[in-house]
Amino acid sequence: MDYYDLAARLVGRGRRLGADEVEVFIQSSRNLSIRVRNGDIETIQESDSGGVGFRVLVNGSMGFSHSNDFNDRALTDTLQRAIAFAELTTPDENNTLPYDLPYTEVEGLYDPAIAKVAMDKKIDMALELEALAMKDARITHSSGSSFGEGETEVIIANSRGMLKSYKSSACSVGVSIVAEKDDQRHTGWESSVRRYFEDLEPLDKIANSAAKKAWEMLDPQMVRTQRAAVIFDPAVARSLLGGIIAAINGERVLQGASFLQDKMDERFASELLTIIDDGTRPRGLGSKPFDGEGVPVSKRTLVEEGVLRGFLYNTYAANRAGTESTGNASRGGFSSLPGIGTHNLYVKAGKHNPQDIIANTNRGILLKGVTGYGINPVNGNYSGGATGFWIENGKIIHPVQGLTIAGSADDILNQIDMMGNDLDMNRSFTSPTFRIREMQIGGA
Amino acid sequence: MGTNLFEKRLLPRRKFLEYGLKSGIAIAVTPPLLTNLFSCSGSAMRVGPGLDMDKATLDRVIAKALSQGGDFADVYLENRNSRQIVMEESSFKSGLYGISQGAGVRVISGDKTGYAYTEEITEENLMRAATIASYVARNGKQIQPVNIETAQRKTFNTVKQPLEAIADSRRIEIMERANQAALDYDPRIRMALIEYNDQVRARVMATSEGVYLRDELPLLFFIVQTMSDDGNNRHMSRERISAHSGFELFEKETPEGVAQRASREAIAMLDAEDAPAGMMDVVMENGWGGVLIHEAVGHPLEADNIAKGIGAFTGKMGQKVATDVFTMVDDGTIPNFRGTIDFDDEGTQAQRNVLIDKGVLKGYMTDILSAKQLDLPRTGNGRRESFRHFPIPRMTNTFIEPGKDLPEDILRDTKKGLYVQSLSGGSVNPVTGVFNFTCREAYLIENGHKTQPVKGATLIGSCMGVISNIDAVGNDLDFGPGICGKGQMAEVTAGQPTVRIRGINVGGSRA
Repeated sequence: MDYYDLAARLVGRGRRLGADEVEVFIQSSRNLSIRVRNGDIETIQESDSGGVGFRVLVNGSMGFSHSNDFNDRALTDTLQRAIAFAELTTPDENNTLPYDLPYTEVEGLYDPAIAKVAMDKKIDMALELEALAMKDARITHSSGSSFGEGETEVIIANSRGMLKSYKSSACSVGVSIVAEKDDQRHTGWESSVRRYFEDLEPLDKIANSAAKKAWEMLDPQMVRTQRAAVIFDPAVARSLLGGIIAAINGERVLQGASFLQDKMDERFASELLTIIDDGTRPRGLGSKPFDGEGVPVSKRTLVEEGVLRGFLYNTYAANRAGTESTGNASRGGFSSLPGIGTHNLYVKAGKHNPQDIIANTNRGILLKGVTGYGINPVNGNYSGGATGFWIENGKIIHPVQGLTIAGSADDILNQIDMMGNDLDMNRSFTSPTFRIREMQIGGA
Repeated sequence: MGTNLFEKRLLPRRKFLEYGLKSGIAIAVTPPLLTNLFSCSGSAMRVGPGLDMDKATLDRVIAKALSQGGDFADVYLENRNSRQIVMEESSFKSGLYGISQGAGVRVISGDKTGYAYTEEITEENLMRAATIASYVARNGKQIQPVNIETAQRKTFNTVKQPLEAIADSRRIEIMERANQAALDYDPRIRMALIEYNDQVRARVMATSEGVYLRDELPLLFFIVQTMSDDGNNRHMSRERISAHSGFELFEKETPEGVAQRASREAIAMLDAEDAPAGMMDVVMENGWGGVLIHEAVGHPLEADNIAKGIGAFTGKMGQKVATDVFTMVDDGTIPNFRGTIDFDDEGTQAQRNVLIDKGVLKGYMTDILSAKQLDLPRTGNGRRESFRHFPIPRMTNTFIEPGKDLPEDILRDTKKGLYVQSLSGGSVNPVTGVFNFTCREAYLIENGHKTQPVKGATLIGSCMGVISNIDAVGNDLDFGPGICGKGQMAEVTAGQPTVRIRGINVGGSRA
C-alpha cells in the first residue's frame, strides 16, 4: 500500500469531516524474533503490522484516535471518532501543529541487508552465540539466545502542508545464561543492537561478556552500612540520567513538577557533567530526521559543565512556554500522542581510564547493577538496590549484592569527581564510567 | 520499533510499571490499551469476517498449522476498542480512542513455539500465518486436530452498566469530581493528574484440542495522581481502581474517595525526612503491598522458568520454603477483579490455585506448554497482552491468605523498623529471586508506633529470604490493581493482609 499518498488524502478527508487541523501519523513495521535454547529453536515469531493515528483540532480542542485497520470506511470512522472526541477536551491555544521545516539528513538509518540475510543464518547466529556463552564450565544453564530484527516506516502528514517519511531498521543478537555454584545462581546477559547488520559485534565478544557477568558475581560478601564512594559503570548510568532527563521535560517544568524547574543557566551538578542529545548521529540507534510530529532534530547541549542549558519541548509544551519546539516530540507508535523524549543522549567523556578510577578509590563500590526508579524527577530523591564489586585501597576485593544506595540528586550530582573516557556511542542513552565521591550505602 | 526488540524478550527482570507524569518516566510503551465508544464499531466495516470467522475455516487454519507436525496449535482472534481521557491541571488534556484487531496462529512442537499474526482477519492471512508458525514443527511428530466445538466455561465477571452504553459526558463528570475533590482536600495540593481508561476486549480462541470459545471482557482503570507542594517539599501520590466491570464500579468506589486517598498521601509525605539505611524489620500495610509477594514469590512460581530448570523454586515442590503462617494463592475467579479473566487466553478455565500452603510449596502457575513440559495440570495462567503476543504463564489475582493477627498488634509488637503503607512497584530476577521495591509512603516505627514519615526508600532482598522471615500475618486482607510486565503487559491485582517481615535491607540516605 502506498501510505504516502494515503496520508495526504486522509488529511484532506479530516478537514472535510469538520476538523480545523489534522495530523496523520502512519507507522508500518516488520519484525522477526528468533529465540533458541539448549541448541534448538524455542520460538520463531514474525509479524507485519501497521496503523494510523489521527490528531485533530476542532475549535482549539484536541482529539486523537487510532486504528490498525486500513479499510477505507474504518479510516473514516476512526477520523470521525477523533473529531467527536475533541469535543470532550478543553480548548487550549497551545494546541497547534508544526509547519513543515526543512529537515536534517541523517545517514545510515536503514539497512536493506538485514532482511536479505537468510533465516537459517540468523538461527545459526543465535545457536552459535548460545554455545559460545555456555563454553565456560561455571555456566550451567542457558535462559536462551536470540536474534531479532525490525524495520519501520513512519509517515507524517498534516494540514499545515507537511508530508514526509523515513524508514529505519535495527537488528540485535543477545544471550542470557546462568552461572551456578552450590546454592548460588547468578544471571548474565549481553546483547548487541545496531542499525546495520554488519555492525553487530562478534559473537564471542557478546558471549564472553554475558558469561563474565554471571560468573564474576559468584561468592558475594556483605558489607556493613556506611558512606563510601560509588562508581557508576556505563551499564547503570541510566539510573541517574533518567531522572535528570525527566526533570528537564519542558511540560513537567511548566507543571511545577521538576526538581530542576528553577535552575535554568544555573549550576546544579559537578562541572564534570556535560549532557548532549544528538538526533543526527549517523547510524545512531536514536537518530531520526525529524521527531514524532515532524519537527527536525538537532544536536543540543542540555547540561554544560554542570550548568543547565536546555529543557526539552514538543510543539505543545513549547507554545505554552513561549518558545520553539526543540524537536523532542517522542512517539510510542501510531497509537500514542506525542510525548517528550530524547534521541541519542550521552554524557561527554572525561579523561580517566575506568581502571584509574578504581585505583584511585580507597573504599567504595563499583556499581554493575542498579534496581529501582532512579532519581525521582519531582523531588530529586534517589534510592536503589545495588550489586557490583567492593573496592578497598584501589583494588576490587569481592562481589557484593543486596546493598542499597541513596541520596538526593543535589548531593549526588555535585559529588561527581571523576569522569571516565570509556564512552560507548552505540547506545541511545549512554555515559562513561563516573564516580560519586560519597553516598549512603545500606548493608548489614 | 526494532531497537528494543531484544531487550523486550530477554530482559531478565520483571517489572511493575510506574505510572509517572504524562510523557515522564516509564510509561507503558507496548501496544496500548484500546477502547470502544459506540457499539456501531463492530465488524461490519471490517475487511473479512473478523471475529465472526466460521468454525470450519478455523478448523482449516489449525490443520494447516499442524501440517508440518506439532503437538498443539491454536488460533486467537481479538478485537479491542479502547478509550483514554487525561485531565491535567484542571483541563481535559487529551482524549484518545483506539481500535485494534488481529489474529495470531501458534504451533507447539515439543519445546518449540512458532507464532505469527496478522492484523487483517481473512482466511488467506490466517493460512499464511499458519504456514509461518508451522516452520518450527518441521520433522516434528504429527497429530490429528479435533474439530472445534463451543466449550463451556464459568464466568466470574458481571456487567450492569455496559461501557459501550455510557455517554462520554459521564466519564468527564467522574474525572471532574475527582479533580475537585483533590483540589478541595488541601491548598497544598497543587495539581491533580487524572487518567480514565476503559476498553472492551473481544476474543475468540480455537485449539487443536477442539475447544472454541468467544467472549468479551470489559476493563476499567482509573488513576488519580496528586502533587503536593509546600514550598520546601513536593510529593506525587497515586491511587488507582480497576475492575473487569461496567461503569457501576464508580458506585462502589466514588471518584471523590479515590482522589481523597491520593491527596492524603501527598500531604502526609510533605513532612517526610531522609530514611535510614540498613537491615530492619518492616511492617507492610494491607493491600497493594502484596506486589512485593507478586514479584518476589509469584514470578519465580510461574512455570516457564521452572520448566527451563532455572527458576528459583526449581525442584522444591512439596518442600517447606516459608514460615507456617505463610499461605499464598493465585485466584483467577474473584468476581470482577482486575486479574479475573474467566478463562485464560488459551481457553483454560480460571481457578483458585494454592501456591504455598502453610509454608509448603504446592503448585506452580502453568500455561499449556509449561504444563506439558512439567507434566503438571493446567492452572489457567496462560495469558497474552494481545494478538501480537503468544501466551506465557502469568499471574491473575495473587495474594497472601489472611492470618489471625490483628494489624494493631503486629505494629505494637514491633519495637523498631519501617512501616510501609504503600509501594510504587518493583521487580524481581526470577532466576536468582532477588527483588527490589520502592516505597511510596513509609514511616518509622519507634516503640510499636508509626512516627516520622520517610522519603521513598528502596527495599531489597531475596524471595527465599523474605518468605522465611514473615513472622506475622494479619486478618485484614485487601488488594490493589496493577500492571505487570514480563515482555508483555497483563492486568493483575496483588493483595495481602498486614504482614511483618524480619530483616529487610532498606535503602535510605542516612545511617
